[in-house]
Amino acid sequence: MIGISLFLIFFVLMLAGVPIGVSLGIGGMVAIALANSDTQLFGLFAAPQNFYATIAKYPLLALPMFVLVGSIFDRSGVAQRMVTFAIAAVGRGPGMLPMVAILVAMVLGGISGSGPANAAAVGGVMIAAMARAGYPASFSASIVGAAAATDILIPPSIAFVVYSVMVPGASVPAMFAAGMFPGILAGLALIIPAVWLSRRHGFGKGETDQPRPPFWASLREASWGLAAPVLILGGMRAGWFTPTEAAVVAVFYGLFVGMAVHRTIAWKDLFEIFREAAEISAVIMIVLGLAGIFAYSVNTLGIADPIAHAVAESGLGSTGALLLLFTILIVVGMFLDGVSIFLIFVPLLMPVVQLFNWDVVWFGVILTMAVAIGQFTPPMAVNLMVSCRMAKVSMEQTIPWVLWLVASFVVAALLVVLVPELALWLPRSLGY
Amino acid sequence: MPAAFSRSFPVSSPSKNSTPEDWIAALGMAALCVITMLNVVVRYLSDESIAWTEEFSVFLLVLTTMAGTAAAALRDNHIRIEFFLERGSAARRRRLALFGAAITALFFLALALLTGRMAWDDYRYAEISSGLGVPRWWYTAWVPVFSLVIAYRVFQTIKRKEK
Repeated sequence: MIGISLFLIFFVLMLAGVPIGVSLGIGGMVAIALANSDTQLFGLFAAPQNFYATIAKYPLLALPMFVLVGSIFDRSGVAQRMVTFAIAAVGRGPGMLPMVAILVAMVLGGISGSGPANAAAVGGVMIAAMARAGYPASFSASIVGAAAATDILIPPSIAFVVYSVMVPGASVPAMFAAGMFPGILAGLALIIPAVWLSRRHGFGKGETDQPRPPFWASLREASWGLAAPVLILGGMRAGWFTPTEAAVVAVFYGLFVGMAVHRTIAWKDLFEIFREAAEISAVIMIVLGLAGIFAYSVNTLGIADPIAHAVAESGLGSTGALLLLFTILIVVGMFLDGVSIFLIFVPLLMPVVQLFNWDVVWFGVILTMAVAIGQFTPPMAVNLMVSCRMAKVSMEQTIPWVLWLVASFVVAALLVVLVPELALWLPRSLGY
Repeated sequence: MPAAFSRSFPVSSPSKNSTPEDWIAALGMAALCVITMLNVVVRYLSDESIAWTEEFSVFLLVLTTMAGTAAAALRDNHIRIEFFLERGSAARRRRLALFGAAITALFFLALALLTGRMAWDDYRYAEISSGLGVPRWWYTAWVPVFSLVIAYRVFQTIKRKEK
């Protein structure tokens, strides 16, 4: 009864357009009050304690820092230079520019940790370049939106930081390592339909006549940007710094490259960069803190257990249950943003994970892949929203192209569902 | 361009009039970078870790979050589902927008009361922080203050929407 009112209040408020964090907080507080109607102030003291304890955590510091890294590299001019180098490497021809967009989004994914920041950085360069080569704007927007979705899989990833803070036993380095191969797999899964669609529809014929940039000169230009993921991931792997410290090192490196090397960031831009990053991370952090109240209610009221029982008695078995959850999550991902999905579903699903003895790291990767698919599946797709705005097309126009990319990404995710080693081999051999 | 289904990523527009919260959030962010970087440098130069900075960094993290939340509230940038907010008659849209803002303002007022009580308990029972051994209310007292600021900023958007 209390469980139902918790979700009912949350859903009604959320659909009415109340901020998601506030909806979670109110739902959680009402449930606490109903369950403790006979105690002083309805037991609501638990609410501020849980709110504070959820955000006052040292490992969470990685979140604002990786948001800041994204804001800096967005403006540092590395995306343009990586694109030039990638064109020099793969050559010219139909389907080559979409492939470049996806490859650059993947490398940038190794620097920043958020999909929309990545879509903005890649879209800023690629959408105009693809238009000049004769690709339709709706196709370019689809490619950029989908390519940026690999960002939350390829380490470092803000989604993994959030998951790791919520789930004991899934450390940040283990999650980062586990996302590597699924991220690359997802990138390949996008490249194949991108090239195939371009060839079938004769897109990018104008590309063939355009000059190919010189290889070594463009490699030298791009090397500052290409060194960043090596620094971040290598530094963490070598034990030089923690994930948070790696992010801060990347902040200073990005500022150096943007201010001294490529000269795209001026002193007067610094306030705006820090202000914007602080606001974006606060928007995520406040939902996180208020979801702490919601999660406390879910856990103390035992709301998640009936779900686990229902799954156990449904006779689906481990794989069947996982496929069912995966489908539900993709559908939910079309309507809700990724971090909110984590905050709502992780506390609900943990009993199911324990029931089937699923590896929490592997489960986190699958959850993230489902969220990544939602990031570019209309109607509510954060990355696609960014790239559509840049390409000046409506989201409806992207449907004929983007659905192919969605289908292919789903196949890649199903491979990780069926072959857990794709995610788990790397963290195990690195000893996390 | 159709109405966005939900705003999930604050595309924060540069503002000419920066509020005090903007400055606190931006400077908090910068301080977090400098402290963490110093930590790395000191560790490599002296083989000593200045772990006590952890507690201060966590405090800055909370401060930046609360200040940034107020900044985002004033710009109406918080994550929400906008499907119903942007459909239907103008009167209904306006009612929903006012309802959402009123609920949000009330919620942060309630949070100010509850976190205020938490900070008061820290003060009354002389709770000591685990890392630096300073009074815990030095950290927690800022949370109700900023909750009030957030409620006030939301209230300002209500006045703006009524016009």
